[in-house]
Amino acid sequence: MDTNSMAGGVTPDAAPTPPRVAVAIVDDHPVVLEGVRSWLAADPRLSVVATGDDIDAVLSRGAADVLLLDLRLHGTMVIDRVAELSAAGQRVVVYSEHTDAATILSVLDAGAVAFLAKKEGRDHCVETVLAAAADRPYVTPALAGAMVGDRSNARPTLSDKEREALLLWFQSMSKASVAKRMQISEHTVKQYVDRARIKYARAGRPAATKAALLARAIEDGLVRPEEIGGYRSWAAG
Amino acid sequence: MRAERDGGPGATVATTVERGGRLAAIGIAFGWHLVMNLPAIVAEWPEFRVPWAAGAGWLLYTVVGVIAALRLYGRVRVPTTPLIAVLLLVDVLSFATVPDGEIFAAANWAWGTIGWFAVIVLWGRRVGALVAVMAANAAIAFVGVLAHNGELAVDLSRFVMFVYGTAVLPIALLAAMNALRVTSEGAAASAAAQAAVEAERAGAVRAQHERRERMAIVTRAAGSVLADLADGRADPGDPAVQRRCALAAARLRRLIAESDDVPDPLLHELRACVDLAERQGVPVELVAVGEVPPLPIPVRRLLAEPLAAVLASARDWARLTVVADEAEVVVSLTTPAADVPDGRSSWAVDGVVDYWYERDEDLVWTQTRWRAA
Repeated sequence: MDTNSMAGGVTPDAAPTPPRVAVAIVDDHPVVLEGVRSWLAADPRLSVVATGDDIDAVLSRGAADVLLLDLRLHGTMVIDRVAELSAAGQRVVVYSEHTDAATILSVLDAGAVAFLAKKEGRDHCVETVLAAAADRPYVTPALAGAMVGDRSNARPTLSDKEREALLLWFQSMSKASVAKRMQISEHTVKQYVDRARIKYARAGRPAATKAALLARAIEDGLVRPEEIGGYRSWAAG
Repeated sequence: MRAERDGGPGATVATTVERGGRLAAIGIAFGWHLVMNLPAIVAEWPEFRVPWAAGAGWLLYTVVGVIAALRLYGRVRVPTTPLIAVLLLVDVLSFATVPDGEIFAAANWAWGTIGWFAVIVLWGRRVGALVAVMAANAAIAFVGVLAHNGELAVDLSRFVMFVYGTAVLPIALLAAMNALRVTSEGAAASAAAQAAVEAERAGAVRAQHERRERMAIVTRAAGSVLADLADGRADPGDPAVQRRCALAAARLRRLIAESDDVPDPLLHELRACVDLAERQGVPVELVAVGEVPPLPIPVRRLLAEPLAAVLASARDWARLTVVADEAEVVVSLTTPAADVPDGRSSWAVDGVVDYWYERDEDLVWTQTRWRAA
């Protein structure tokens, strides 16, 4: 299980003492909430600013760079709240035990920066939040599976390499093994996977968070501006 | 008639058989009525007690005969009882008006005619109805004979002969036609039944063939390890033997799941292997994305079997994934490297499933991939 390779490009160009990422956590199970809080608080790059079981109450306690949100709160799926928050520019990382492809894809469409399966564990959780704070994609194996199995008409067109990288990442959960299998570097594997993710950011309904992901992807050279069809008009809208 | 209505397998055959008999019965009845009865009535006309009644009786028979014939060809729908009643009434009339001393002569025409007319009226019915009519005819005749002024002993013996003579042939004809119809229906039905039996036999042979094939697979899967254990050649404490047992169990379990009638057979079979691994203490994560198209059993076998084998030797954890759409199904198993052969290999199996296997320092990765032709 190779997760360090997913650390993304946060650390390389960061200042010696970068400001900590402010994270808010919303979950209706106190045990889970406490567990996730301790995972994140243990990382020096992160600072948990608020926790609770109500989105509005948690966010009213101060701005958070990233909101880590349990998708099911008190028996209700809060996908519409994800859309509302994402449209307003709030970076939302959804984590859930509902890992069926349809749910994951609708969460992406709503504008969530990332999706995390609850069982995907600490490392994925920390890395996802860090990447999200930097508007960078982070594709967990669960998310890769949902994207590679997507057969909806509105799905973006993935290249063969992107699809293969997603499939193998989903299967093995090891970038090193995928790299060996595809006979490319781990960095290139990550690029294929991230490019696939960025294609999803420009599909479906517009959201400020999607625009931010696209902008950052262009800045990082992951995609070229001319590859991004409607990106500018979204940003304007 | 019944066969036509039923439209069963014997209907066509029975209809053909019946057409001839029907025509013959009508021919006999009208032939007798015209060639025998008409000249007799004309010849004895003045001698009849009530000549016009004899003529009317003859005409009534003609009318009943025509109606019955039309009915036989489906032209009119008439209940049979009134027709039979008319025939019997005219029969009584015939006895009542016959000239003195001619009760056994052709002038008493209805006695010998009623049987043939009753046959065409009662065509397709059971013989019992005709027998009843002939019994009524005999009763009427018996009363007529008793009322007749002749030598009783002689009359009675002639009566018996007449009853026999008039009843046997019509009853025989109707009975023969019924028997013929039953036989032809039966023949056609038995031909159909034989075809069904033949189909069933072919199905049974195929089922047996499949069973043998599965038996061979089971024997391959578990036979040798069981034989070795039984002979004492294999030590149950030996980890290698334990792995062979686990592998055999996985194959058997998958094989059992294979014949279950479930909506998603491939996932069902994989789950069966997962169950087994989990019972051996290996947590397995099974993630399926997309809808698996209907796949023939041999393809499912090729997809699942290699993974089941690796799964049986998994020690720590395992991740089993299925990504499917109508054009492609990819099944993959990853598990920490254990004591399994090193290296990588890949080949196409039967041209329908690609198999791929790799083991590096920490991961055993097996993948099978089916692509629609």
